[in-house]
This record gives sequence, structure tokens and C-alpha cells, in this order.
Amino acid sequence: MELTLTLIITQILFGLALGAVYIMMASGLTIIFGLLDVVNFAHGTFYMLGAFAAYIVISLFGNFWLGLPCAIILVGLIGWMTESLLIKPLYGKDPLYPLLLTFGFSIAVTDLMRWIFGTIPKVIELPKGFAGSFMSAGIFIPKYRVFIICLTIAVLLFLWFFFKKTNLGMIIRAATRDSLMVRTLGINVPRIWTFGFALGVGLAGLGGAVNSSIVAAVPDMGVEMTVECFVVVVIGGLGSLGGAILGGLIIGQVISFVSLFASDWSNVAIFLTMFFILLVRTRGLFGEAGRL
Amino acid sequence: MKNDLRPKVQRGAGNRTVWLALLVCIVLPFVISIPLATEIMIFGLFALAFNLLLGYTGVLSFGHAAYFGVGSYACGMAIRYAGASIWTSLLISIALGSLLAAIVGALAIKKRGVYFAMISMAVGQMFYFLALSPLKRWTGGEDGLKFIPRLKLEFPFFVDLGSPYPLYFFVYIIVGISILVIWRILNSPFGRLLQAIRENEERTIASGYNVTMAKFVSLVFSGFFSALAGGLFTIYLGYGPLHSLYWLTSGTILLMTILGGMHTFIGPVVGVAVFLYVQNQFSRYIERWELLVGILFISLVLIFPDGIVGTIKNKYLERKADDTSPETEPELNAKTETEG
Amino acid sequence: MKKASWILGVIFLFTLMVSGTASAKPIFGILLPLSGPFSAMGSDMKNGTLLAIDDVNAKGGVLGKPVEYILGDDELKSEVAIRKYKEMVDGEGIKVIGGGLSGATSVAVNEWACKNKALYMAFCYSSMPLGKEYCGYGFVAGMIPYQSGVATARYSFKNLGKSWMMITQDYRFGHDQLQAWLVTSEKLGGKFVGNVYSPIGQTDYSAILPRIVATNPDILVLNIYGQSLDSIIKQLGEAGLTDKKMKFVIPKSHENTIKGAGSFYTQNFYGGHNYYWAQQDKYPGAKTFNDAYRKRFGGPPSMDSDNGYTGAHAVLDAMNKAKTTTDVPKLIQTLKEMKFQYNKGPEQFRACDGIRMTSVVIVRGIGAKAKGWDLGEIVAEYPVEETLESCENNAKDIPFGQVKLPGK
Repeated sequence: MELTLTLIITQILFGLALGAVYIMMASGLTIIFGLLDVVNFAHGTFYMLGAFAAYIVISLFGNFWLGLPCAIILVGLIGWMTESLLIKPLYGKDPLYPLLLTFGFSIAVTDLMRWIFGTIPKVIELPKGFAGSFMSAGIFIPKYRVFIICLTIAVLLFLWFFFKKTNLGMIIRAATRDSLMVRTLGINVPRIWTFGFALGVGLAGLGGAVNSSIVAAVPDMGVEMTVECFVVVVIGGLGSLGGAILGGLIIGQVISFVSLFASDWSNVAIFLTMFFILLVRTRGLFGEAGRL
Repeated sequence: MKNDLRPKVQRGAGNRTVWLALLVCIVLPFVISIPLATEIMIFGLFALAFNLLLGYTGVLSFGHAAYFGVGSYACGMAIRYAGASIWTSLLISIALGSLLAAIVGALAIKKRGVYFAMISMAVGQMFYFLALSPLKRWTGGEDGLKFIPRLKLEFPFFVDLGSPYPLYFFVYIIVGISILVIWRILNSPFGRLLQAIRENEERTIASGYNVTMAKFVSLVFSGFFSALAGGLFTIYLGYGPLHSLYWLTSGTILLMTILGGMHTFIGPVVGVAVFLYVQNQFSRYIERWELLVGILFISLVLIFPDGIVGTIKNKYLERKADDTSPETEPELNAKTETEG
Repeated sequence: MKKASWILGVIFLFTLMVSGTASAKPIFGILLPLSGPFSAMGSDMKNGTLLAIDDVNAKGGVLGKPVEYILGDDELKSEVAIRKYKEMVDGEGIKVIGGGLSGATSVAVNEWACKNKALYMAFCYSSMPLGKEYCGYGFVAGMIPYQSGVATARYSFKNLGKSWMMITQDYRFGHDQLQAWLVTSEKLGGKFVGNVYSPIGQTDYSAILPRIVATNPDILVLNIYGQSLDSIIKQLGEAGLTDKKMKFVIPKSHENTIKGAGSFYTQNFYGGHNYYWAQQDKYPGAKTFNDAYRKRFGGPPSMDSDNGYTGAHAVLDAMNKAKTTTDVPKLIQTLKEMKFQYNKGPEQFRACDGIRMTSVVIVRGIGAKAKGWDLGEIVAEYPVEETLESCENNAKDIPFGQVKLPGK
């Protein structure tokens, strides 16, 4: 296999597409950690729920474009309930507890989904316009991947706009820095936290819905994803949205190129990357400081 | 009800629980199935080692399967490739496990809690994937480490480790001694230092203690005994499974520790016993036992965060407090006596 | 309130402990992955086993009594399997064990069975008969992995083209297929143009799609199993590759994969199966099996169902023939001499290495027309003589075991 420029460019493009989903997931995880100080070990589970939500909606109504927003909303709702019922009681205690709870939650929900839906992969058909690839001078990228990249950019713009320009976004940023102060200003901070959690997992659900057209939907699809998300977020710096983006980009390219040269190392490569970055910069590339 | 961290001062009386547990374990293989009893001993040791770090020092390691797995593979490889004796192989396991812990400690023990947990998880995953694919020729990949001959002990006297009862008692003696050693460690000034670190790290640093060194030593001890448990696991199975390195193994040991009570000494062992036993029974009748495990986990964290032994201890202490007459000085209750 | 729950808990545990003990003595212990991600296939094997037990009971059971058995969950993990088999053999006095879906588990259990002198009937594809894995106590009711590789490779070089590229899932089963294809390719004039290893659990293949397109082989061999297989088929489909000229060959395919891939499993797809229900056109035994299976379980049987059925039935028949349920050497001898015909043609277990002598069919996809039972069309059948190596070769694990894996 010769290493041509076209091959390299194509790999970079694929790496971007891979990174895009990670960015979406990592942003959600960062919001949750930054706002709630909760390490959401069930993030991959919500990703899986998003994939199934999209599958159900698209199977029922036949409309792909309906599937995506419905997935976000459905997963967001589940997130809302989860936070209110299961995580809220744990605030104020050892931060270990929400981590353990979300871990147990992921085991339970994954098995529940296996029970309800079985383990045969569920497939979503893409809308006709998305089949095939863009090709030019030997470089190619499937149209759907381009869509994913664009969608991620849109989501990031939305988040930027939301956090910088809207009142609610501002309140959330303030609550991240100093929740006590915000509370004394009369704002219902617990409600904000619930919203933040729902938003964070909603993003994971969107990631799942988007990915479900690429990889078939299966209850176990969230298991590895959780671990990978954490790698991305830790590389970028827990709590930093910019870090989540950079981390996602890096991991996307790492996977893409390691697959090209030594595909049996691609799993190990992600962890090696994280390992080395952490050794050099303790808090990840952008550090923490709860910056949103 | 106090629900998380309380100061604990171990007294000699606490020994009672440990000796009781060891006594129960002598009769265990006659009450439940022998393989199950043997696994309870092995994973009980692993859980104790894990809790040394978590419950006592306050450090969460999410990749502890690495030490267990390295111990397991080291023992198996020594037997298979070098023809080493049982004792030698176990010593190699311990050495490599401690070494790995020392390396991880040197690199990462200073990092803040969440980061250490993530790095430890990364180490765990790396070893898993290394054993799975690139190092397949030596580890057997997902087949696991096979071709270990039927094992026997030569020194100090002959023991056929292929038979269930001798195997159990061999494991029992090693685990028993380890439990006593860990008990000594945790009831020494060093053990109290670890708990002080868990309670309030800054204050301990301010008091002039070398906290980093203490955490490092704690991690190495933890790796030492985890690897020993791993080596025993290989001897028990006669085979080294890949799953010993999988992150779910790390997660399960965490669950069992919490189930038993991470703020107690013997809790983790109790947690292992209850969990493995119930899982064994459940999977016979119900195919959805993972769902039940998850629900159990959630209930534990929400309702019984102190775990089985912890909750029992609280009840015992509450009753003790009720028994004391009202004239007793309230200060006497501030230093809570806890048993094993 | 808490006190009551403690009492209840103790009673509950006690009941479990007591009810765990069986009344009659079991003669056969089976472990299958009944939970976890592969429970669907484990469940197929279980159904096949239950059907076999029913059939044996209908003819009088084993030695005049209905079959007493234990059926448990090995969670697809070798250490769990070994622990539970230990309980059965050491604890309950069972001498005959069976089951298994994972090849890795089967070789581990096989080694353990040999050390403990128990008869082990593996239901899955396994390398137990090869080289030093074989130790005399194990039988395989599935196939040796290389057999499906040989069959699919033969069909491909005869009918589909010459140049081939493979995506190999990086574990033993995958390597076995790669070795089988490399040897067969050299024999039949195929042209090997490249191999990419895919780690287990990989679901996003976008990083290797460019390479596939750049290499442009006649045949792309998808040496991948489980849900990753559906993922790569999807991604090939979405990249627009599944309805062009490239042919896709899957050494060991599965009904679940075809269902999962939907319309992307086009007529360019060819898969190896050691049992496909449409074989009932040729074998009356298959028709009986299909009908009984559908009546009891609703859907068509898969090859896992057939393997479970055959393995269990053979073991029980051997017990009746040998007139014993515990004399392992006698049972082994009987199994090796026994001829039987269950769901396909006449078959037997080969004496030198315990492998079931059965055929492989190649099933071609039908794309969007796939519905219900109708998932493909049989285009070829390879009898065992064309896929199984001789006793001497298997004992030395040649030729396939000696092939150097590219890039390793």
C-alpha cells in the first residue's frame, strides 16, 4: 500500500468525521462535569439510548429528520428523570457516589435494553440523499460523514451562542463558578443542575442517533464509548469545552492514522496518547477551571 | 445517620471479627461448593488489597485489574515457560505486580483523584489490549494462557493442587496469612496515617507528613496483594484468562468492596462472598442477573452506602450508644470504637 | 422494617441454597452464554439442546429414564465456565459436559476436561482437534474454523474472481480464516492483495475504507464476526460499495447478521453456514428439525441450533449405546464409532480427532427482498471431504497452522 497524498488527505477527513462524534459526546460530558462535578459513567449508555430512540422513531414514522431531534428530546427527558431521582440525593456526599451510581446505572440499563430489544443489531436506513461519497482526485468521503461534521459544527455554534449570549447560558456559567452565590440571588440552582445534566446527556443521545446509521444499534454499543469519551475529555482537560473539542480532534486523527499503519494497535493507541499527555500536562491540554 | 467518612481507631478487640471470618472460612468449602469457596478467598484478598487504597487511603483506582491480571499472567507464564515451582511463580507475580504499582505510583500518585482514576483505568485498558493482540504469542490472546500442567506443590510437603480440597486449603492459608499481614499494616501508625490522608489530606500535609510517599507505599502494597490474588487465581484455574485484565473486573471488585462496606476492614471480603454466592445462585434461575447487579449497585449507593458490614456496624454502635446511661460524658462517644 | 428485611433476606438465601440441590442425579452438564451480548446465539444453542433432549426422551430417555441435565450460563467467560464445570464434575459427579459458543472458552475447557477426565462435547467452532490442543476427551459438534475458510475460498476463486483483500478481526478465529484463505489461494491461483487487522470491538471502519477503495480487489473478505460485521456492512453500503462490482465473502455468516444488515446484504454477498434451514429441500431430517423448531420456538433454526442439537443428541445416544453415563473411556469409544443422521446427511465424529464430519453451504444474499425466513439462496454445498484435512495433518496443525500471518 503506497502512502500517497490523496490517501493521507482522505485519512485526515475520516479522522475529522470520527472526531466529530467524539467532540459531541465529550462536550456533553464536560458540561455535566463542569456544572455538576459529576463523573457520568453512564454517558455511553445515553449514547446507546439515543441510537435506539432514533431507531424507534424512524421505524415508526419513516422520517430520518424526525429521528434526530426526537432522540435528543427523549434522551434529555430520561436524563432529567435520572438526575432528579437518582443523582440529586447524592449531592454533598463523597464525589465517588455519583460515579458509582452512574456506573451501576449503565450496567442495569444496558441489560434492560438487551432484554427489551434483544441483541440483534438494529439498522437505520439513511435518507436517499446521503448514500454514496464525495469524490475528487482520488480523495473521497461518504456524504453522511460530511453531514456529521457539519452537524457537529452546528451544535458547537449553538452551544457557544447558548452559553455566551442567552440568560440561561449565563446563569449556568455562573453556577459552574459559584453555585452558592447564584443560589443566594434567588435562582433555583438544583433545577439548573437537572437541566445541565439533561443537556449533557442529550448531546450524547444525539451522538448515538447520528452514529446509529453507521454502526448498527446494539445495547452494548455504549460500553466502549464511555471509556473513549473519558479519554477525550481527560486529554482536553475535565471541565473545559475547548479541551473537549481539541481532545476529540486529536483522538479522531490518532485512530485514523494508527488504523492505517498498525491497525491492531488502534485500541492501545488511544490510551497511550492519554497516558503521555497526562504525564506532560497534569490537567490535560486546556486544564480545568470549569470554563464553559 | 453519618453516612460517609468517620475517624476510626482500631483496637485489639477488632481482631475478633477477623479471626471469626477466618474460622468461618475453614468450614466454608463444606457448606457451599468448593470452587466457589476458593474464588471467594481469592477475590476476597483482591478486594482487601483494593480497599487498602480506596477505603483506607481514599484513592480510587479504576484499573486495578491490571495488578491482578499481571499477577495472574506472570504466575502462569513462569510455570509454563520457565517450569518454575509454585512458590517461585507466586513470588514473580508479587514482584511484577508491586513493580507495576510502583511505576504507576511514581508517575501518577500526585495527581488529583479523578485523574488518577482515569490514568489507572488507562493502564488497565492498555494491559488488556496488549495481552489481547500485540503480545498474543506469549499471552494466548483471547484464548487465555493455556497449557499449564496439572499443578502440585512440592515444598514443604506434597500437595496435589489439582484436587479441590487441597487446593482450597492451600489458597486459604496464603490468603489467611495475607489478611493478617494487611491487618497489621492497617493497625500500625502507618495505617492511621493513611486514614488521616483520607480524612483530610491538606491537614495531614500541614502536619508535616510525607503524604505522597505514604500514598505511594499504599499503592505498592495494594499492587503486591492484588498480584498475589491474581497468581492464586491462575493456580486455582490451571489457566490464565484474559478477562482478569478487563475493566469490568476492576468495576466488579469495586462493586463488591462497596457492597461489603469500604469503611470497614472485613467488609470487602463479606461483599465478595455475598456477591459471588448470590450471582452463582441467581444465574441459575434468572438470565437477567446483570440487570439485578446494576439495580443492586444503585440501591447500595442510594440507600446503603456503608455496605453490609458497615450498616451492621452502625446498628451495633447505635444500640451501644443507646445502652449507655445518660450521665455518661458525651465526649466519650467522640472517639468511636469500631470492630474489625 | 429493616429487621424484617434482614429476616426475609436470610430466608431467601436459605431457600436458594436448599433449592439449588437437584433431586435426581444429572448426567449431562451444559453451559452456554445465556446472558450478555451473545445471548441470542447462546439461546439458539439452548433451544437446539432442549429439542434434542425432548427427542431422546420421546424414544425412552437415557437407559430408560428421562434425561436429567443441568443447563447454565457461562457468560462467555472461560473462568466462569471452568468454575461451573468444576462444580458439576467435582460436586455433582457429572462425567459428561458440553456447550460453549466461544472457541477460546472451548479450548480452555477442553484442556481442563482432559486434566479431570471428563468427556467434553463442544457445540461451537473450535480448534480443539488441532495439534497439541487435542488430548482425547473432547469432541466438536461445530467445525474447525479453517473449514469455513476453505469452503468460502474455494467457492470464491472458482466463481467470483482472483484478487482478494481481507479484513481480519484480530483474534484466533479470524487468523484461522486468514490462514485457510492464504493456503487455498495459493492452490487455486488466487491473488492476495492485502490484509487489515481490525481489533475486536471496532465498530467504525471509516479509517480503512479508503484503503479498500484504493486497493480495489475483486473479492473483499469480511473476516469479522458479531455486531462489528453488521457495522462494516452498513458502512460499505453507505459508501456506495455494496452494489458495484466488488464481491463480499463472509467465511462464517449468520442469520442475525443478514437480518441486521438489511438491504445492504446484497447479491454481492456470500456467506458460509454449516446449517441453513433451506437445506430441507435436500435433507428430510432438516425439514423435521425446522418444523419442530418452529413449532416450539417460533423462528427458523440457525446453525447454532443445529450444532446444539447434534452435540446433545449424539452424547445422549452414545450413553444409550454404551449403556453407561459415567464410564468416560467407553463413552469416548462409542462416540467415535457411532454413525448418526439428525438434521442433514449421515454423519459421524472422526475417531482420530473428534471433529464432526459435516458440510458447509454457501448462501448468497438477496438484498432488500430478505424477509422473515427467506434470507438468502443456497448456491453451493461443500461436503466434509473438501474442507477437512487428514488426521495426520490435523495432528501436526498443518498446513494452516504453519502459515505466517502477514504483518505479525
